[in-house]
Amino acid sequence: MADNKNTENKKLALDDAQRVKVLSPGMMVIKRFIRNKLAIIGMVIIIFMFLFSFVGGAIIPYSESEVFYTTEEIKKDYAGATYIDDYLMFEAEGATIPSDAFSKAVLAMTKKQIVVESRKDGLLALRPIDDTTYLLYAAEETKNPKAMKSEEKAAAEEAGDCYFEYAGTPYIVDASSGKERLYNVTELSLLCKKSFTAYDEATTFSFSFYKNAMLAMAKNENSFSVDGVNYTLEHESEDAAMVHAADGTDYAYISSLNINNVIKGIFLTPEFKELVTLAIEEGQDSFEYTDAEGKTDTYLLSQKQGQYLIQRYQETRVIDTFASPSKEHWVGTDGNGMDMLARLMYGGRISLLIGFVVVFIEVIIGVIIGGVAGFFGSWVDNILMRVVDIVYCIPSMPLYMILGSIMDHYKASPKTRIFMLCIVMSILGWVGIARIVRGQILSLREQEFMVAAEATGISIKRRIFKHLVPNVIPQLIVFATMGLGDVILAEATLSFLGLGIKYPSASWGSIINAVNDSYVMTNYLFVWIPAGMLILLTVLAFNFIGDGLRDAFDPKMKR
Amino acid sequence: MKKFVVKRVLLSIVILFFVSMIIYGIMRCMPSSFVENKALELSQKPGAKSYQEWLDQLNSSYGLDEGIVQGYFTWAGKAVRFEFGDSWLFNQPVLEKFSSVIWYSFALSLSAFILEMLIAIPLGVIAAKKQYSGADYAITVLALIGISLPSFFFATILKWIFSVKLGWLDLYGIVGRMHDQLSPVGQVLDMAQHLILPVITLTIVSIGSMMRYVRTNMLEVLNSDYIRTARAKGLPERRVVNHHAFRNTLIPIITLLGGTLPSLFGGAMITETLFQIPGIGYTSYTCITQGDIPFVMFYMLFSAVLILVGNLIADILYAVVDPRVRVN
Repeated sequence: MADNKNTENKKLALDDAQRVKVLSPGMMVIKRFIRNKLAIIGMVIIIFMFLFSFVGGAIIPYSESEVFYTTEEIKKDYAGATYIDDYLMFEAEGATIPSDAFSKAVLAMTKKQIVVESRKDGLLALRPIDDTTYLLYAAEETKNPKAMKSEEKAAAEEAGDCYFEYAGTPYIVDASSGKERLYNVTELSLLCKKSFTAYDEATTFSFSFYKNAMLAMAKNENSFSVDGVNYTLEHESEDAAMVHAADGTDYAYISSLNINNVIKGIFLTPEFKELVTLAIEEGQDSFEYTDAEGKTDTYLLSQKQGQYLIQRYQETRVIDTFASPSKEHWVGTDGNGMDMLARLMYGGRISLLIGFVVVFIEVIIGVIIGGVAGFFGSWVDNILMRVVDIVYCIPSMPLYMILGSIMDHYKASPKTRIFMLCIVMSILGWVGIARIVRGQILSLREQEFMVAAEATGISIKRRIFKHLVPNVIPQLIVFATMGLGDVILAEATLSFLGLGIKYPSASWGSIINAVNDSYVMTNYLFVWIPAGMLILLTVLAFNFIGDGLRDAFDPKMKR
Repeated sequence: MKKFVVKRVLLSIVILFFVSMIIYGIMRCMPSSFVENKALELSQKPGAKSYQEWLDQLNSSYGLDEGIVQGYFTWAGKAVRFEFGDSWLFNQPVLEKFSSVIWYSFALSLSAFILEMLIAIPLGVIAAKKQYSGADYAITVLALIGISLPSFFFATILKWIFSVKLGWLDLYGIVGRMHDQLSPVGQVLDMAQHLILPVITLTIVSIGSMMRYVRTNMLEVLNSDYIRTARAKGLPERRVVNHHAFRNTLIPIITLLGGTLPSLFGGAMITETLFQIPGIGYTSYTCITQGDIPFVMFYMLFSAVLILVGNLIADILYAVVDPRVRVN
């Protein structure tokens, strides 16, 4: 453009310097580079990657290791119910019960005895109330002909009961041995296969309540009174009854089912137990219950080996694993419930950073060793090149893996791992650069400009780093750009194998690591495809740029 | 020539000496309790040797109880006599395990190598012949994609397509479920079928550099004076390319290929691990993750030897092709 303007304004001579547009070598390279479409595509990709990782990571509201939760309806155990198989003993207040009373009583039940002998404390009398309910007394044999002939005894015998009261004293008659014996008794306990549920947690019942309730149940009576308070009994079935207080509210529930809560801190009300008992007796699978707060839930009932399990669907907070891409999580979440997009961005930072750091160290070591070897030649060159050969021969992949295992053993922190990985990769990777630099310098140092430099008496250091190395820079840039791709690839491979970057730090390779689980590979494409594509695109872009740079620096190749 | 070869071989031996020293040094970097724990763990397996026996064996074969220099010579002395001890993981001599797995790796690498040559050489020649054409661009981009493709990612895509979606091939392993019931021919075919995906992975991942190498060399040859002469004397283009140019391109290609031949025995660690092909690569991967020092030491040394032999072959071939190399 400038040239055109000039030609318009004033006439130029044929040999005028301004006639020919002269570009500096650097500008020529840039011009050739820009003309290369692939290289430009590569540049665009790399710029995008940098924005994605460094700017994106700063913009995204989530952090690298933020775990997300979601709520899910999960069937949870709520309560369990079993039929009571063993006798439960409800003790009378203030009674001292012999230690073997329970076993003796059970024995007596099976033998249908009324009076049995306890080991130390004399006699025990067992009074059947119905098939599974008994009252246990401490007995003392007496002789009271009056009582034996009393009306009360006759009435009791007629009712099939062995217990009667005469003149305010309780007696039990045992006729099992053929001859009637009379015993003076005091109440010890109630034995039955029933559970009592109070209307609230704190309430406990007195022995007389238990006794009278059971007596009323056995006799099919609808009411009973304890200590002057009247209760009504609503029979629901043979085994279950609801006790109402005088004002008609539920007071207690008697059932032959033992119903216990599974979750701590929940009190099962008489009403709930009533519903459970009814559901079990009617063989239902589910029932509905409205709790004290007025919330109605459906409870599921299932049976397993005589045990009933009551379950309920409950909203539970769970980690949001492998969530599909959505508005909140554009690329979904991973197996730990972390946002994939955020992890990809932070992973990109680490992958790119490792690439640049490693290549930077490689270039420094490579230029120094290659430069010295190439410049001095002879024995220095020989020794240094043998060092290069040795490093070149060290099998890198097994070595990285061994180091990974050692770091696992020492439980190295993610930061230490990244640091170590950079160091080791650069220590093993500089040989290629050293060889290139040496080869170039070997040929350059024979050229005239070096002879001139030597003639001017510049120091060796200046000659190497001021005059020789700048001439190697084109090759160096090309090699380093392509090396960046290789380093990123190697780091991704290591992390993929689980030996490089570790959770909770992310790198693109460690994100793809999830595919080691075939289920993830098959069902959650969004977990591994994006990370793989990012690696591929980044490495490809570096290769495009490297290729473009090579062509730009060395137009001779463009024949 | 003889002098050159002898010199290179001696040099290689010296390099091997230092490389093995580094490998031994890395092994000694392992936490000392690690070895003891490992011995303890091994001794607790049913039917295993006692703890002391394992520990003694380790100490004697790796010179762990001696200083690092003396220990190295103890170990190297045994390694020279091919005594690598017993693998901890497989509970059998390292060399026995090695010889039982190496052929899987070789079959895999060789198939991939042949396939690679069959695809890369013609494509590279085509790209060079029609430089800057659409085909050239396509091939260059393809080559770069091959170089840039992470093998684990590509293998996973292949598995997803061919094993999961289409269900044609198995996800893992070298043999199918019904392998034992098959006839001998069927068994070989079964194994070949299981090698399809690994071979494709390996080929695609390594084809790029070869293709570029062929293209560059072909371009160089096509621009040389004798090709201009051939064209000038009126030979048909096909004859110029196929006879005059291609034959001359073969020289650097064969030199390169000669150098990569030993690596066919090295196994492809990543690919074998991904497809669980029980070759040397997968075996050593498991050994490394399980801390099986005897096998890992052997594998490291073996890989180093392979690299050295590869370099040696390449150097000698260069010397054969280009007499100038011999002088310097």
